[in-house]
Amino acid sequence: MLRIPVNERPDLMRIASEHGLEYSAGTGTGTSTGDGDGITGWDESAYYQFTLRQIEEDLEAPAEELEGMCMEVVDRAVTTESVLQRLEIPEHFWDYIAESWRSGEKNLYGRMDLSYDGKGPAKLLEYNADTPTALYETAVFQWEWFEQTTEMGLVPKGGDQLNDVHESIVDAFPLLGIEGVAHFACNNDIEDDKGTLQYLEECAQEAGVETCFLAMEEIGLNDHGQLTDLEDRAIRTLFKLYPWEWIMAEEFGAEVPNCGARFIEPPWKAILSNKGLMPLLWGMFENHPNLLPAYFEDDPAAAELIDTGSYVRKPMLSRQGANIKIVQDGQTHFESDGPYSEDKHIIQGFQSLPEFEGRFPLVGCWLVASKAVGLCIREDKTLVTGKDSRCVPHVIAG
Amino acid sequence: MKRRNTFSVGLMMGVSLLVLSACEEPKVETSIYESVEQCKRDPKSVKSECESNFKEARAQHAAVAPKYATKEDCMADFGADKCEKAPYKTTSGGSVFMPLMMGYMMGSMMGGRRSMTSQPLYRSAKSPNTFRTADNKSAGSTTGRTRVARSATSRPTFKRSLQSRGGFGASGRRFGSSAT
Repeated sequence: MLRIPVNERPDLMRIASEHGLEYSAGTGTGTSTGDGDGITGWDESAYYQFTLRQIEEDLEAPAEELEGMCMEVVDRAVTTESVLQRLEIPEHFWDYIAESWRSGEKNLYGRMDLSYDGKGPAKLLEYNADTPTALYETAVFQWEWFEQTTEMGLVPKGGDQLNDVHESIVDAFPLLGIEGVAHFACNNDIEDDKGTLQYLEECAQEAGVETCFLAMEEIGLNDHGQLTDLEDRAIRTLFKLYPWEWIMAEEFGAEVPNCGARFIEPPWKAILSNKGLMPLLWGMFENHPNLLPAYFEDDPAAAELIDTGSYVRKPMLSRQGANIKIVQDGQTHFESDGPYSEDKHIIQGFQSLPEFEGRFPLVGCWLVASKAVGLCIREDKTLVTGKDSRCVPHVIAG
Repeated sequence: MKRRNTFSVGLMMGVSLLVLSACEEPKVETSIYESVEQCKRDPKSVKSECESNFKEARAQHAAVAPKYATKEDCMADFGADKCEKAPYKTTSGGSVFMPLMMGYMMGSMMGGRRSMTSQPLYRSAKSPNTFRTADNKSAGSTTGRTRVARSATSRPTFKRSLQSRGGFGASGRRFGSSAT
């Protein structure tokens, strides 16, 4: 696994505006030595290079194997109340989640975050199975970078990318069996979320699905217990870029099991988008090469892991690297802020992300319809990938 | 506006209407039980239906029961210790309360077809011996096979919580991006 500096494409400002991405001073990288003008959340002053063997054997195959293991976790969780309780899923939704699993409600996508250095086995840090970020950067922007830089000779010809994300999503939509209009909803105030959702909407349209967009807070409820849009039409399919744990805690959440709408991602994904998944996986597949040890914080085994002096403490439902504490050799190595300190926590074994030129890359493997079809690398200057991280493109060569 | 006053008025009206309608409204046969066990003990019940009917009624309970912003308001209509937290919060993060389910009316089979669904029943503080539907229709005070006004057998309406739009979004306002 190599990190190779490369020239940025000329006229990045125009490219950014064509894609609706933010371009401003001080948010990009300019050169590899300092911050300059650039695209927010993106760095094309370098790319990561993998061999085909690394991609196929160290990333693709393990990701799909992990996906299968996750499905086994879901299967066991839906019939085991103590597991659902552990995950802090309210009892009101247990039957609803179980039924969505038993009736085979389909999932569309997710992103597994892996610590991988090109040598040892990739380790699953967490699974972003409900509302994964960086979809557009992966599926569209990264691919276009690859095509253009190859053509311009900035990147050697004959290379490839693990990137079938766009086609896979468009191919998957018709298989979801959506009837009539599909409503797409997110928090309207967050530009990034809106951008991601609009991209998904376009994919659905490309697949022949009729769509319409509204904000989560614009969703209403009628006297028949159905969710409605601003024209008071009943919502039959809701593609939500909004986490299940938030829905379950909100006023209309209680009505969801009876509202008659079908959700994407389906309710059973709530079992996987929770970092409590990591102790569950370790419990069922202890010592699997692609897993790190993990325990719920009140598990006695967690105390043993803490005693080793090297571990990571994470809230079960935190996002974007918030409220993470890394302890290494008895010293708190890193601690991030955030609003999730009241959550229940898990303790996970610590494996450092590899370091390249002072940056720490996190390998995100995208699964669409449970197949590994894409990769995105997110780099941070710290060991915890978060809001300030940047996507760095990749190439497969050799 | 306190829900309690609205509901109390409704209760009183319900009672007086009952006196009139008992003479006029056609009655239908149904079965009412306080629990699955009571249903199973009744020699006249179809045992296999006791549990399934209970579950069907229970599934509607949170949706159709009257809703209150405070436990006190709810208890004023249904009695002390006769209220529970509804399984959701208002947009401002407050709790919602509803009466406990005190029994259920079995769905009926007419000519081999299911003609009405089971529904949850409640008891008000003012007439604790009477079962009432979620729409505040009297279902009498008899358990087992009984006759009730036809209007009491209609499917109860959904009692929306204190708002009819905007019941999603509070977490987004608190935490920001959904992205992980």
